[in-house]
Amino acid sequence: MKPTPPEMLQGTVDILVLRALAWDSMHGYAISRWLAARSDGVLTVDGAALYQALHRLARRKWVTSSWGLSENNRKAKYYTLTSAGHAQLRTESATWTSYAEAVFKVLRPN
Amino acid sequence: MRKPYSKFFARTDVPLKGPRFLQLPWRSRARIARDIDIELSFHLEMRVAELTAQGMSAADAARRAREEFGDLELTRAYCRTMDESTDRTARISDHVADWRQDLRYAIRTLRRSAGFAAASLLTLALALGANTAIFSVAHSVLLEPLPYGRPESLVALHETRATSPSERYQLSPANFFDFRAQQRSFTGIAAYNGAPFTWLPDNGDPQFLFASSVTANMFDVLGVRALHGRTFAAGDDAPGKDRQVVLSYGFWERALGGNPAVVGTRMTLSGRTYDVVGVMPRGFTLGTNEDLWVPMDLSEAMADAVRSRKQHYLRAIARIDTRTTLERAGADVSAIARRLAAQYPEANTGLDALAVPLHESMTGKLRPALLLLQGAAAIVLLIACANIANLTLSRTMGRRREMAVRAALGAGRARLARQLLAESLVLAFAGGVIGVGVAVVATRTLLALNPDTLPSMFTATVDGGVLLFSLVLTVGIGLLMGLVPALHVARVDPQESLKEGERGTSQGRGGERVRRVLVVAQVGLAVMLLIGAGLLVRSFRELTRVQLGFDPDRVLTAQLRAGGERYDSPDAVNRFYDRVLDEIAHGPGVAAAGAVTILPTRGSVGSSVRVEGEPVDEANIPEIRYLAVRRDFFKALRIPLKAGREFDASDAADGPKTVLINEAAERRFFPRGDALGRRIRIGPDPNGEPMTIVGVVGDIRAEGFAVPVPPTLFANHRRETWERSLAVVIRTSGDPASATPVLRRAVKSADPTLAIRDVRTLDDVIGSSLAPRRFALGLVASFAGIALLLATIGIYGVLSYAVASRTREFGVRLALGATERSILLLVLRQGLAWSLFGLAVGVGGALASGRLLSRMLYGVQPLDSTTYVGVVGGLVVVVAAACLVPSLRATRVDPIQSMHVR
Repeated sequence: MKPTPPEMLQGTVDILVLRALAWDSMHGYAISRWLAARSDGVLTVDGAALYQALHRLARRKWVTSSWGLSENNRKAKYYTLTSAGHAQLRTESATWTSYAEAVFKVLRPN
Repeated sequence: MRKPYSKFFARTDVPLKGPRFLQLPWRSRARIARDIDIELSFHLEMRVAELTAQGMSAADAARRAREEFGDLELTRAYCRTMDESTDRTARISDHVADWRQDLRYAIRTLRRSAGFAAASLLTLALALGANTAIFSVAHSVLLEPLPYGRPESLVALHETRATSPSERYQLSPANFFDFRAQQRSFTGIAAYNGAPFTWLPDNGDPQFLFASSVTANMFDVLGVRALHGRTFAAGDDAPGKDRQVVLSYGFWERALGGNPAVVGTRMTLSGRTYDVVGVMPRGFTLGTNEDLWVPMDLSEAMADAVRSRKQHYLRAIARIDTRTTLERAGADVSAIARRLAAQYPEANTGLDALAVPLHESMTGKLRPALLLLQGAAAIVLLIACANIANLTLSRTMGRRREMAVRAALGAGRARLARQLLAESLVLAFAGGVIGVGVAVVATRTLLALNPDTLPSMFTATVDGGVLLFSLVLTVGIGLLMGLVPALHVARVDPQESLKEGERGTSQGRGGERVRRVLVVAQVGLAVMLLIGAGLLVRSFRELTRVQLGFDPDRVLTAQLRAGGERYDSPDAVNRFYDRVLDEIAHGPGVAAAGAVTILPTRGSVGSSVRVEGEPVDEANIPEIRYLAVRRDFFKALRIPLKAGREFDASDAADGPKTVLINEAAERRFFPRGDALGRRIRIGPDPNGEPMTIVGVVGDIRAEGFAVPVPPTLFANHRRETWERSLAVVIRTSGDPASATPVLRRAVKSADPTLAIRDVRTLDDVIGSSLAPRRFALGLVASFAGIALLLATIGIYGVLSYAVASRTREFGVRLALGATERSILLLVLRQGLAWSLFGLAVGVGGALASGRLLSRMLYGVQPLDSTTYVGVVGGLVVVVAAACLVPSLRATRVDPIQSMHVR
């Protein structure tokens, strides 16, 4: 598994985490697994960046957290998207998509 | 047991407890750190488990997981900072949310119990309004500086008697000049004196103006400058130079349209021409709201060496030199006064002098009245507090079940207490806002209705200081009235309450006791206030009746002059006045009409007098004041006839002249009480026409209160028609102003060419001296009324509640054969017992504090039994009435219904 590329920006991690939580509450480890699976192993976020992002998002009230039991009966902190978080995800996704399309257009060989 | 991967977190010293699924609202710093460690170690453990499952050794897996994770220490620190900040904001917004919830809940609850809220609001608005209004006046009068330059170094100079320093006189002109020449403590001494003028505008009717004549240095001593033009310069009060006038801002604006060009023009005052030299800035006054100021030429007064030393009419203001002190200045003037007493013993024996700070001199009379009013307002406030605490408490008892349920659902006692506090604060603030509104309106209205109450430099306004006072008061009350029930809730055991609630019968003993104490306190305070007000009312009546000697209420006065050639014979004058007075006397709403040469308190003329049959010392002929009266003068002013008779038809014709004298004259000239039938002669001629005394009337005050009533003679104006000007006095049954058309019609029909001047109420004529007293009295009386009302509501409320909560008991009693009468008496006895106890406490308090009032009382003892008996009797009746209604309700209990009451 490759380490997270250094150019992986804070904002990028944030939107990936928000997206991960869009459908379901998850604990941090599950989020990292989900991201890796979803991107076919291309996007891997290291633990440091992931947890910093999660606590940052909690600070902005885009996610809330609560303790729960993990699959293997361990105490784990579960994160849930708030309605503000959903809204943030929508706007950020739109921005990102258009940005990515623009970059793609530029890079496309004629 | 040690967790396998806690070695990653060697610094973790907080032991891990069992899992907690319920998150506490706020976490400690240690708790936050621990939570983060748990979270991160979970992540690492999961990764290690995954790697070992792939066949990696445990040690390799752990190293790998650490490497993949990145900077662990940085992440822990970052997450802690984030979480601590999150918690802080959450805590604050939780507080805010809680308070908002409390507030919303309080408003909703109050809206649901509209009766309670309305009663409390009314009580609070009255009490806070009264306190704010009085404070706004007291603040302005007692705390604000005077509108002069460096007012703290200004003093008023008074002459006084060495034997009774509380008496204060104005200065005589000769003494004033001697003080001025000999003093070494002041940078200047100025004097002023009232000087009314009639102003004849270029167009329009003549106007009566209030003015003061002042020494030329007055404005310099006060440290004030003119707004336009100049003030008086040194020497402007010299003879021949005194035809100058400085206008007040108010007069300049009102009568001259605020035109600066009037400076330099001339105006006609009382038939003389004056140069307008200046206009003073807004708000400047010497205390009597003068229209203008003219220089005071004292040379004429000083020409008479005897009178100039004996007549005390100058008000003196001096500025203390910065190099000396008030004490030294006082000693200085006192020393001068003693020298003058030695030098002019016949005029100055026993006279002393003192320097009083000007502020104190101008507000001295108001100070005790204002403190009294503030005290009365404070008592009203206390009663209101007791009332509201009582209402709130009754309500709290009724809400015990609700509180118990909330407590059972997890609300802490502090939370419940806070809820109650929020309710009381909401109420208090609403009451405070209304109260301030009431105060603003009340002060404006009251002062507009009683313009003479305050010296005009004091403007009672609700400013920042006053608002702060009200705010402090409001918050204090809110806390106080919330605290009683809040403390009560804190003591209540929810389990007990719930059980009791189901039974729905007895009431908490503690609350009951508190409410009784409150009722006793309320009644006690109301009694104190009522007794105080009663004493003041009686004292005021004594003052107006005994002190003035006549009743100025509801009397209209006007000046008439039967002048011109048509009135050259006594018959013509008599015909005119007879006709006018007859027509007025028969007019609607007129109780009595008469006339006099000079109105009471407006002075009098003196004449030498010789009593027939008494030896006369020709070198020292005694003096008597002389007034001529017509028709029902004595009846119109309610001056009592002490002996003999008034004038009647038999005195009209050519028979011997008859007169009445006052009691002072009887005491002076007929100490044996044999005045009736004796004959006196007045005037310089020892063989003039004698006048027979046919009656003695009560003394009336012709001057101020401090001056003893001089011996006075009342001649029959029908026989003394050489005096053409008379003041008509009309006693009316209603508003004295309503007699004005009657008066005008009467004069017009008797002689349409004659003018009527100075149509005023007698109150107005003498008014300014009594206005503050009357004002204060009205306020204290209304405070006492409010207090009585509040106390009555309090008793009624508590007893009603007691009856309501004992419904079941009464039902049982009735079912077991108790008569309605016995139930009635049971409740009545209970209510009366509390009230009478309160009454006793109040009387005790009034007796103890009576001495405080004694300075305000006149002619009434602080322990006046009439007042005490009247108040106590009246209160018993009111209280009994308040108790009767709930008592009757108790007898109407339906035994069967009452069993079903929950």
